[in-house]
Amino acid sequence: MTHGVIGSVNALIGGLFLLTSFAMVATRQVRGCLGQFVYQSILLAASALLIGGSTASWHLVAVGLITLITKPILIPWLLRRTVPERIFTRREVALTVNATTSLLIALGLAVLSYFIARSLLFAAAADFAAVNLPIGIAGLLLGGYTLTVRREAVPQLIAILTMENSAFFAGIAIAPDLSIIAELAVAFDALVLAFVIGLLTRLIHERAGHTEVARLAELREEAKR
Amino acid sequence: MTARILYNLLQVLVVMAFAPLMAGINARLKEIVQSKRGPSIFQPYRDLWKLFHKDEVVSKRASWIFRVTPYIAFVAPLFVAMLIPVLTSYPLFFAFMGDMLGGGFILALAGFFACLAAVDAGNPYGPMGASRTRMVSFLVEPVFMIVFFTVSFVAGSTIPYIVQQRWVASPADFFAPSHVLIVLAFLMIIIAETGRIPVDNPAGHFELAMIDESKGLEYSGTGAALMKWGGEMKAFVLMCIFLNVLVTPWGLAATTSVDAVLLAIPLVLLKMLGLIVVLVIVESSLAKLRLFRISEFLGAAFVTAVVAMIARLFAL
Amino acid sequence: MILIAIFVLPIAAAAVAMIEHRVAPAVTVAAALAAFGLAVHVGLTVAAGGSIAGIPGWIAADGLSALLLLLISFVGVTGAVFSVGYMARSGSDRRLRGYYASYNLFLASILAVPLLAELSMVWIAVELTTLFSVFLVGYTGDHAALEAAWKYAVLTLMGAAIALLGFLILFWGLRAAGGTAFTWDGVRNAAPGMTPALLGTAFLLILVGFGTKVGLVPLHTWLPDAHSQAPTPVCLLLSGVETSAVLYVILRLIPLAAGVGSGVWAQVFGLISVGAAAFLLLQVRDYKRLFAFSTVEHMGIILTAAGFGSGGAAYGATYQLLAHAVTKSFAFLAAGLVLLAMGTREIDQVRGLIRRSPLAGAAVLVGGLAIAGAPPFVVFLSEFSILRAGIGAGYYLAVGLLGLFVVIAFFGIMWHVARMAFGRPPEGMEPVRLPVSARIAVAIAGIPVVALGMYLPGPLHALLRLAAEALSR
Repeated sequence: MTHGVIGSVNALIGGLFLLTSFAMVATRQVRGCLGQFVYQSILLAASALLIGGSTASWHLVAVGLITLITKPILIPWLLRRTVPERIFTRREVALTVNATTSLLIALGLAVLSYFIARSLLFAAAADFAAVNLPIGIAGLLLGGYTLTVRREAVPQLIAILTMENSAFFAGIAIAPDLSIIAELAVAFDALVLAFVIGLLTRLIHERAGHTEVARLAELREEAKR
Repeated sequence: MTARILYNLLQVLVVMAFAPLMAGINARLKEIVQSKRGPSIFQPYRDLWKLFHKDEVVSKRASWIFRVTPYIAFVAPLFVAMLIPVLTSYPLFFAFMGDMLGGGFILALAGFFACLAAVDAGNPYGPMGASRTRMVSFLVEPVFMIVFFTVSFVAGSTIPYIVQQRWVASPADFFAPSHVLIVLAFLMIIIAETGRIPVDNPAGHFELAMIDESKGLEYSGTGAALMKWGGEMKAFVLMCIFLNVLVTPWGLAATTSVDAVLLAIPLVLLKMLGLIVVLVIVESSLAKLRLFRISEFLGAAFVTAVVAMIARLFAL
Repeated sequence: MILIAIFVLPIAAAAVAMIEHRVAPAVTVAAALAAFGLAVHVGLTVAAGGSIAGIPGWIAADGLSALLLLLISFVGVTGAVFSVGYMARSGSDRRLRGYYASYNLFLASILAVPLLAELSMVWIAVELTTLFSVFLVGYTGDHAALEAAWKYAVLTLMGAAIALLGFLILFWGLRAAGGTAFTWDGVRNAAPGMTPALLGTAFLLILVGFGTKVGLVPLHTWLPDAHSQAPTPVCLLLSGVETSAVLYVILRLIPLAAGVGSGVWAQVFGLISVGAAAFLLLQVRDYKRLFAFSTVEHMGIILTAAGFGSGGAAYGATYQLLAHAVTKSFAFLAAGLVLLAMGTREIDQVRGLIRRSPLAGAAVLVGGLAIAGAPPFVVFLSEFSILRAGIGAGYYLAVGLLGLFVVIAFFGIMWHVARMAFGRPPEGMEPVRLPVSARIAVAIAGIPVVALGMYLPGPLHALLRLAAEALSR
C-alpha cells in the first residue's frame, strides 16, 4: 500500500496488535491478560484515529475516540468494581494446553488467517485492509483459541472482548463508514457485556468459592455420582 | 587492498580492546540503577590483568579439551568479528569468508567446547550447567535461523555487509512491523545467549542456579582470563551484529579514508552504550525465569520472529 | 410508530417494574398483551397486502417479520401469565423485581430483532438478547444454574463476535458492489453483484457465529444446560422464540447467498443438528433437557428446509417456525407444571403423573406428542409439508435422512414422556394444587397447539405465504 509514513506506522500498530493477541494466549496472570487487553484497545484506537485522519473521515476519528474512552478506561474500571479484587491477584494454576504449544498453535492460526485474508483481498480491495484484515482475522481466531484453553473466568471474558476488538480492527479498514449509531451501540454493548459477565463472575465466586469455570462441569448426560 | 586488510585487523583490535569496557559499563549501570555506586568501568581490565598474572591449577583428570577450550573461546569471537561490519559499511578483506550462518556456527563451536570442558573437569556442577546451556542454545537456534532467513531473504544475500545495506534502506523501513519484530526477537536472543536476566543471573554465585557462568567455574589464571575475555567479546560481537546490521546501520565509515574509520570507533561505542542502557533497563525490571519457563520465553521469541517473517513475506 | 411501540412497551414495563415492584407482574402481563395486540394488528395488515410505516432504513416489517412478531409476542404473553404464579413462590420482592425487569428487557430485545432493517442494529439486538437473559438463566443461583449461565454467555458471545466479522465483511462486499444502505433490501439488491468470496465468507461466518446462538451442532453444548436450568417462563422465551429469532437472521441470508452454495451449507448443518439432537435426546435424564434437544432438532429441520430453497420448502420452513414456537412453548409450560407437581427434573423420579396431577400429566402428554410431530398436531403438518417439498425439489437423500431422524426423535420423546405420565406414582404424596395463573397460561397456550393442527385461519395462511416469499429465491 502506497501510503507512506502513515501506512508504515499503521503497519507497526498492526504488528503490535498481533503481538498483544499472542501475549494473551500465553499469559498466566489475570492482571497480565487485562493489561494486554488495555494495550490492544489503545492500539485499536490509534489505528482508527490514524486511518480516519489520513482518509479525512470524521467517522473513524469518532470511533477512535469512543474506543479510547470505553475500552482502556471504562472496561477495566467496571471489571475492578464488579469482580472481587482477590481474583486479580491470583495466578492461573494451569493452562489446558501448555504455553509453548499454545504459542505454536497460535502461530499456525496467524498464518492461516494471513492466507484467508489474502484470498479475500484478491477479490476486493480496500485502503489499509492489507494490514488490518489479516491481523483482525488472526486476533479473532486467537481470541477464540484463548477462550477454549483458558480455565479461569476473567481471561475467558477478556478473550471475548479481544475477539470483538479484532473484528473491529478489521472493520475500520474494510467497513469504515458504518453508521455512527451502530458504532456507538457496539461500544455501549461492550460495556454492558463487561458489566454483565463481571457480575456473573462475582456470583460464581460467591457461590462456588473460585472462578475456575472449567471445574463447573455438573451438567451432562452420564450418570451422576 | 592493504587498507582493507588493515581495517579488518583494526576491527579485531577494537573488539578485543573495548569488549571489557562495555562489560564494565554494563555492570556499573546496573549498580547505579539499584542506587549503589558500582565498580569502576575499567574494573574488567584490572580483573584480566590480575588473572593473567596468576598460576593455573588444572585437574589431573582433565584432558586436552580442558586446556584448549579457553583459546577456542577467545579466538572464536575474533573470527566472527572479522566477518561482521564493526567499523565500515563496505565489505572488508575477510568479509566473504563466512556469512552470518557461519558466524553463528563459529560461536556455537566455542560454546560446544565450553560445554565439553565443563564435563571434562569432573566437577559435579559443570555438567549441570552445561546441559542447561545446551538447552538454552538449542531453543535459541530456531529463532536465530528465522531472524537470519528473514533478513537474508530481503537483502538477497547472507553476507552481513550486504544485509546491512539493504535491510533498513530508508528511515520509513525503521517502523515497518517486520523490522520492529525482528529487533525484538534478536534482543531476546542476545539476552539468552549472553546469559542475562531473565534467562540467567550473571552476578549470581549459586552454582545450582548457574547456566552460562558454569562454564568458567573450573578455570584459573590464564584460562580464566581467556574465558572471561572471550565471553565479553562474544557479547560485544552479538551486540555489534544487532546494532550495525539490524537496528541502526548508520554511523559506519563509508569511505576508505583513515579519518572516517577512526571516527566510526566512538560512534559504534556510542550506539553500543545506548543498547547497554536498554539491556540494563530490561534486566533491572524483570525477574529471573524459572528454568522450564525459559522455553516459553524463547517460544515467544520464536513466534515473534515468525510473525516478522510473515509480515515481510506478505509485504506489510 | 406501531412498530416502535411494540418493543418500547416492554421496555417501559421494565422501568415500571424496577420502580414499583408490587405491580411488576401485572405490568409485565399488560405490556405483553399490548404488544401482542399490536403484533396481531401488524400481522393482519401485512397479510391483507398492506404495509406498515416504520422508519425507512431502520425499522420495517414484511411478512416474515410480522410472523415472528406475532410468535414472539404470543409466547411473551403466555410466559408472563405463567410467571405470575410460578415465580411468586420463588423469591423475595426485590429479586422478583429484577426478574420482571429482565424478562421485559429480554422480550423487548427479541421483539427488536425482526423489526430492525439495518443489519448492524440486528447484530446489536441479538447481542442484547444474550446479555439480558444471562441473569434470567442463572436466576435460581445454584451451581448448575450458574454453570449453565456461564456457558451460555461465553459461547453465544463468542459466536456473536464471529458473526460481527461476518457482518463487517458483508458490508465490505456491499460497498464494493456499489450498494449504499446496509439493510436487508440493500443487501438483497446488491447480492447478485457481490464478489462471491466476500459473500461466501460473510455467510459462513454469520452461519457459524449465529448458529452458536441457534444451537446448531457442534456449537450447541450450552443449549441443553441453559434451557433446562432457567425458570420455566424464561425457557419459553429461550426455546420457543429466541432461537427462532436468531435463526430468522440466518434464514434471510440464505436466499441472498444462494449463489455461493448457501443452500448446501444450510442443509448440511441442518441435517447434522437434527441427527445429533435425535440421538442425544435418547439418553437424557432431565425432561427439560429433553425438550431443549428437541429445540435443536427443530432448528435443524427449519434450516434444512430453508436450504432446499424451493417455494414449497420455504413455506414449510415458515410453517415449522410457527408450529415450533407455539408447540415448544406449550411443552415447556407442561414441563413447568410437572416441576411444580413433582418437584424434580429427573425423568426417573417422575412416574404416574396422570394420577398425581391430571392437568400436568395431560399437558406433558399432549406437549410431548405435539413436539414430536404426531398427528393431528400442527408440527406434524409442517414437517410433512417440508418432506413433501424436499421430495419435490429432488433432495431424496436429505429427505430420507430427515425423515429417519425425525422418527428416531419421535420415539425418544414419546418413550420418556410416556414413562413420566403413566405408571405408579411414588408413595406418600398428595395431589398438588397448581397455581391459577399457571392453569390459565397452559390453557391459552394449548389453544393454538390443538386448533392449528386442524384449521389454519386465512390471514395466518396468507402471512405464511408472504413470509415464504422472503425466504425463497
